[in-house]
Amino acid sequence: MALLERHEWYDIARSTNWTPKYVSEDQLFPDVMTGAQGVPVEKWEVYDEPYKVSYPEYVRIQREKDAGAYSVKAALERSRIYENADPGWRSILKAHYGAIALGEYAAMSAEARMCRFGRAPGMRNMATFGMMDENRHAQIQLYFPHEYAPKDRQFDWAHKAYHTNEWAAIAARHTFDDLFMARSATEIAVMLTFAFETGFTNMQFLGLAADAAEAGDFTFASLISSIQTDESRHAQIGGPALQVLISNGRKAEAQKLVDIAIARAWRIFCILTGPSMDYNTPLQHRKQSFKEFMQEWIVGQFERSLIDLGLDLPWYWDKMIAEFEYQHHAYQMGLWFWRPTLWWNPAAGVTPECRAWLEDKYPGWNASFGQAWDVITDNLLNGRPELTAPETLPIVCNMSQIPICAIPGDGWNVKDYPLDYEGRLYHFNSEIDRWIFEQDPKRYRDHMTLVDRFLAGKIQPPDLMGALAYMSLAPGEMGDDAHGYAWVEAFKKAPPLAAE
Amino acid sequence: MSKTTVAEGYRNNRVGPILRAGPITDGVIEAAEEDNPGKEIRVDDKIAYVRIDTDGEMILRRETLERALGRPFKMSELEVNLGSFAGRIETTDDYVRFYYEKTL
Repeated sequence: MALLERHEWYDIARSTNWTPKYVSEDQLFPDVMTGAQGVPVEKWEVYDEPYKVSYPEYVRIQREKDAGAYSVKAALERSRIYENADPGWRSILKAHYGAIALGEYAAMSAEARMCRFGRAPGMRNMATFGMMDENRHAQIQLYFPHEYAPKDRQFDWAHKAYHTNEWAAIAARHTFDDLFMARSATEIAVMLTFAFETGFTNMQFLGLAADAAEAGDFTFASLISSIQTDESRHAQIGGPALQVLISNGRKAEAQKLVDIAIARAWRIFCILTGPSMDYNTPLQHRKQSFKEFMQEWIVGQFERSLIDLGLDLPWYWDKMIAEFEYQHHAYQMGLWFWRPTLWWNPAAGVTPECRAWLEDKYPGWNASFGQAWDVITDNLLNGRPELTAPETLPIVCNMSQIPICAIPGDGWNVKDYPLDYEGRLYHFNSEIDRWIFEQDPKRYRDHMTLVDRFLAGKIQPPDLMGALAYMSLAPGEMGDDAHGYAWVEAFKKAPPLAAE
Repeated sequence: MSKTTVAEGYRNNRVGPILRAGPITDGVIEAAEEDNPGKEIRVDDKIAYVRIDTDGEMILRRETLERALGRPFKMSELEVNLGSFAGRIETTDDYVRFYYEKTL
């Protein structure tokens, strides 16, 4: 007997909003957990997940995906891609795994919350698959770097990062706690699946895959693009949830959630994906600039779908677009300057050829960021590497947990956006970060940035070594220039044959 | 490109699949041409992924894909290679549709 097609049984199987007998509806689905914002259960009945999958289909498809990713890995294991890769590329892998792998577990918890407290049966259904997806992502992104751990201790941070107080790990945790862990089912649908996954994960998992393929790292390209096929499906949990909220008079609330989520996601991807694409990827392997990938994925695709669902552009749209030109360059300078505080070795990415590329992609780069890199380059050329090492503390944004920074040199626009709240002075990188805090100050007020902790005497001894110990960065793990400063050679004025 | 042009970049109606590198890409392009007659199908090959799009609506039918690929194909198999997509999606046993409700 032939099996029924999915559409012949799907609707009836999905119909699971049963009437509880032993507890009240409110006890079974408390609003604080569902985040339904008072929209009654019958209004959620119209929720129709656009990207449907049945359990037998899911198992078959996922098996095929895993078989593909693992077989590419196995086939290329002896090809010495890792050994032959540019050190900048290896840094991308280290940053990626450390920042992402355990964040996937956070996403799994979030999917589990939708799976239990989603108000619509279709949401619970798709979140069940989403939960399994995220478990796959956590495990596969721990397994792949594991083979590199014996070769390079920094790869241990694929698992270690989230268990430390390393500053970038704090920034990632703070963001993911806010968007994934400490939210209701509906908020997760909007903030994680819609804003984060239909939007920004495309940058790190498909955009960066394009660079990976150019760099010859087909294992990584295959892995991350395979992960994104899961995201692409379960990210569709958010769209119909937004439609229910909007059609029941909750557009302003929905818009606020989306605006917060986009702003927070932008910060994380700006510091992770931006420097990866525009500095750590070897020049000859760059498919597009970070800005061009943002235009393709976030402006052209994600924002367009947001408009189609009946939402508006975020209030800060023009401000964010303006940041495309500079924010990740500023983050790159900070990452490189405070390099001992990283679990990867950042590439400077500022050889004369790289600088020409940056000036071409970001006109004005030489007169702004270039001026600051000139000072670093001169110090290295003059045999004063100690002047390129950190001795002071940055001011860290109380929202993003990333140092406050912007354009140096010509066009200087570095500015603190302070806020006095209940007697404590908070600092923010932009009006956008401050706005997020103001939406729910009680949610954020008690958190201390790494620098707040330092100033409060929680980090002893109160110097760089004390801070590194607090961040669990051991010798052999703390970052240094990816190329051992070899890039400085290109700036030496000696004639080409003089050395011979 | 000026900042204004970048900010206005969302004003488009491009819909369609973004496929990761895999064996079905050529078949999907062929099916997109056949199932969407009279529409311009654009292909942007970035090696790791291929963006296939057209304006407003794109349909991919199972039977067309089977013919193009020369083998049986379940519509749900598309997911193995569907890294992302532009537009909204409708998934059925017989076809997948990418579309926008609003035209900008």
